[in-house]
Amino acid sequence: MKPAPFEYIRAESVLQAQEWLAADPEARVIAGGQTLMPMLAMRLVRPTRVIDIAGIAGLDTIAVGADHVTLGAMVRQVAVERSAAVAQALPLLSKAIRFVGHPPTRRRGTIGGSVANADPAAEIALVAVTQGAEVLTTADAFAARDYFLAPMTTALPAGAMVTGLRFPRVAAARRGTGFAEVAMRQGDYAMAAAACELVLGAGGEVASLRLGIGGATPVPVLLDLAAPTREAIAAALAPLEMMHDPNAGAGYRRRAALALAMQALDEAQREVMA
Amino acid sequence: MTVQLQPPFRYVGHKRRVREDRRFVAGGGHYAADLVLAGMLHCAPLQSEHPAARIVSIDASAALALPGVHAVLTGAQLAAASEPLMNGANTPLVVRYPLAVGQVRYAGEWVAMVVAESRALAEDARELVQVEYEQLPFVTDGEAAMAEGAPLVHPPHGSNVLLDRHFIWGPVEERFAVAPRKLAYRVRWARSSTVPLETFAVTAQWDASQDVLDVWASIQMPKFPDQIARSLRLPGNAVRVHYDVDVGGSYGVKRGIKHAVLVGHLARVLGRPVRLVEDRLENMTGGDMQGPERVFDVELAYDDAGRVHAMKMRALDNVGAYAGRSPFQLGKPIGAIVGPYAIEAVEYHALAVASNKTPQEAVRGFGQAPTNYALETGIDQVAAALGLDRLEIRRRNFIRAEQFPYLIPSGTTYDSGNYAGLLEKTVAVADLFAERDALRAQGLLAGVGIASCLEPSGGNSSFEPLLNPMNRTTTWMESCRIHVDALGGITAAMHTTTSGQAHETLVSVAVAEVLEIPPERIRVIRPDSLASLPSNSPVGSRMAIMLGGAAVRAAQKLRAQLLAIAAHDLGVPQHLLRYSEGDVHAPDGRKLAWQELVIIAHREYFRLPPGVEPGLSASSIYMVPTGGELPKDDKVQMYPCHSFEFHYILVAMDRVLCRPQIRRYIIGHDCGQVISPDVVKGMTLGGIAHGIGAALLEEFSIDAQTGQPTAASFMDYLLPSAHEVPHVEIVHQTTPSPLTVFGQKGSGESGYLGSPAAIAGAINDALAPHGVRVDQLPMRPALLSDLLEGTHA
Repeated sequence: MKPAPFEYIRAESVLQAQEWLAADPEARVIAGGQTLMPMLAMRLVRPTRVIDIAGIAGLDTIAVGADHVTLGAMVRQVAVERSAAVAQALPLLSKAIRFVGHPPTRRRGTIGGSVANADPAAEIALVAVTQGAEVLTTADAFAARDYFLAPMTTALPAGAMVTGLRFPRVAAARRGTGFAEVAMRQGDYAMAAAACELVLGAGGEVASLRLGIGGATPVPVLLDLAAPTREAIAAALAPLEMMHDPNAGAGYRRRAALALAMQALDEAQREVMA
Repeated sequence: MTVQLQPPFRYVGHKRRVREDRRFVAGGGHYAADLVLAGMLHCAPLQSEHPAARIVSIDASAALALPGVHAVLTGAQLAAASEPLMNGANTPLVVRYPLAVGQVRYAGEWVAMVVAESRALAEDARELVQVEYEQLPFVTDGEAAMAEGAPLVHPPHGSNVLLDRHFIWGPVEERFAVAPRKLAYRVRWARSSTVPLETFAVTAQWDASQDVLDVWASIQMPKFPDQIARSLRLPGNAVRVHYDVDVGGSYGVKRGIKHAVLVGHLARVLGRPVRLVEDRLENMTGGDMQGPERVFDVELAYDDAGRVHAMKMRALDNVGAYAGRSPFQLGKPIGAIVGPYAIEAVEYHALAVASNKTPQEAVRGFGQAPTNYALETGIDQVAAALGLDRLEIRRRNFIRAEQFPYLIPSGTTYDSGNYAGLLEKTVAVADLFAERDALRAQGLLAGVGIASCLEPSGGNSSFEPLLNPMNRTTTWMESCRIHVDALGGITAAMHTTTSGQAHETLVSVAVAEVLEIPPERIRVIRPDSLASLPSNSPVGSRMAIMLGGAAVRAAQKLRAQLLAIAAHDLGVPQHLLRYSEGDVHAPDGRKLAWQELVIIAHREYFRLPPGVEPGLSASSIYMVPTGGELPKDDKVQMYPCHSFEFHYILVAMDRVLCRPQIRRYIIGHDCGQVISPDVVKGMTLGGIAHGIGAALLEEFSIDAQTGQPTAASFMDYLLPSAHEVPHVEIVHQTTPSPLTVFGQKGSGESGYLGSPAAIAGAINDALAPHGVRVDQLPMRPALLSDLLEGTHA
């Protein structure tokens, strides 16, 4: 498990990284390295150059604005986990981040790395799609639901680089969130996951319900729900393609997605009522 | 006959610090991969990408042209310079070398070994080796491999069946004919293993000025130096294995003989030290470290009261592409084939079948855990068929405490036990059935699991002559030598490797008990193989019994020497002297202190009894109690001692997600007199974790269409983590063995031997109200959920 030879370079700025990327289609960006390093070691990827963006100033900031919360690509997952500002402004992400890998991988792993990698089981991507976040890149900003195209495949143009995630801020009053997933072991890739954000209006009516499914489907999906009911969720899941692997078939994933969606919804409802 | 030391003990059984902990926790261990020798070269194996193929040609020219590459060794080259590796089964036409010769037989098999200045360079060069293959038909399923017309893994052998032994012990057909009730069932144990964090590592160096091959290896392998010497056509005393290498985990699998033969050969021909450290992918596919993979077909004959009178068991083990010692894993369980139950007659059909999969190696319990799972499944099913409580069925079938020593039909006498006693003590801890019902009332699936299993211990080799009459090995010793230096320091030597079982603690406590000197004052060393007495290795749950026995014997001899010296010097008959804490006291109040005795032995020869050799040194080469006989009438005394464990657990899961959670894990454990409580506890906890993996998570799966492994790294081969391993409540019982120096039995396999059976039982209890059951491991969430749903989408 030794990588094939490659050139390692550290970018000082986003501009420099972008130039290097544009100059060499075989170059790869490394952020936290939690996926890329094993792939390099197993020679599953053979980049000519590995561009390290960890030293780029400002790429690791969490900015909480009036309407948005912006996370730089180099924000470590542990920073999100420990951020009181994120817990307050993005409680769903705060909940989901604890399901991402394990404490040692969260210490290295980044927001941008997870988004760029586009693993179908990634919790950060699920929350991004559920909450209508934008993926910020050097080329353009993409709505998260348009960005993830297929497992490990995104709309990121060649030569471009993910620079961050921008979440819309939701008024904190009368909001509940829930997150649930099933994996073979705690911290493993989710076989199915569900994220829910429920906002009630002044009169207690449902102002907004967002329920997303990940892990089971090739990319995270925001369900189009007629009502916050089991039947509506099942109906929304019915047309979706489910993945299968030796651990879990499509039937299991569909049932699990429904069960987890109900758990996440239930958690959000209990929270909003509390 | 062993004279047993009686409690109260001064050190044995007392909770003390495990002496190895300090160096392992503080990073002071010395592992094979820590060794750096001047001029050392590094290896990378080229592995077969096909499950079966003829090797048409190997072109290494491009690899050899790379600067820094020293050699590309092929199977044909190595075969010309070495003897085949040892074969356990009587299958002379199943020939095995460290590298494939002419044909590859599993995906991952080593085809060539690249040697270079660095590991990275060796990997670069490996990609440049061109191998032309002609693909052959292959078979990966054990039952399919037995079928007529199946592709032959070893065509000269003429069949894929490597071992086919049929045993009938007692009046089986008669019991089945008269039994009012019978049941038949099948269970499957998937291929899992012990998966040490440290992969296999070996470094070898040829000393041309002394004609000695030095080997540092991460091993747990009986007769390791002999096997290297024989394969490399060297005299036995030309191979020096350094036993003081720490081993980063094993529980059976660190056999490494092909690795060591290969690296030894390379070191010799290249004249440079050569090292091979497998990476995880190489370890899991080509390291030959996967465990048993079995299909059991079992029939039980029982009566209306639930008493099981006879059993027919067929065990089909898919051992993979080569035999090695793995077929013997069908033999060891013969020594506890009836478990803790008074089953009167047994038919046992052991089948080891070759397939195009990675060869199997020894794993903790040497086949006992799968057999226990098969037997416990049947006991649960008898209970279910009769509507009997699963505790009651066991009470009714247990061998009773007053029946020991107890001869089982297959020829082994169980030394001692109190199975019902431990059951009652364990179930008194909690009413798990009530807790289960409370969970069910909450809408969860919940089940109680029960397993009562034996751990045969004190490993010897009786199964070898039993399964292979060409093999007459019955001598399985362990040894210890104690030396007191001229300053009075005590050093005890063991003569094999240690792979985390705290043997230094064991030896120091055993010697301390006899000499009445604190264990902290006793140094324990592992000299190299040329400086060692005969020994096997820490396999078969044997070291507490065997190394403990050798250490006590040696210490007793030393104590006798001290008394003889004192008797002569004091002019008092030995039987009037009293030995206490290293000093010898005469009835008249005179005493010779330890230091004085040491001075006499080392310096004042004139004070020694006439004819006594100077110095203080004693050794023992200890033979397995009850061992040594060849089988007679297909029966043999297998291991001498029989520990007992009673698992009582509660599992809950969501009805749809079906991810089993172990809510309570209570284990009753009886390994006779405990020597080091923390060591036994650690073994039991680790064994339970290991069993959780086998029951719920781990499988070296393979794609049947392509013959390719689909679990070749920790991404896909799922070990239980700290999250999946519950708190374990341990209930102790001590039923001493009459055969051992302290009454101890083995505990190196404890926990693992019953936890898969208990977990499977709990899950089936959870599923039972829904009318389904599962009889295969691992029991993964989707498998359970699909079954409940009645679909396999």
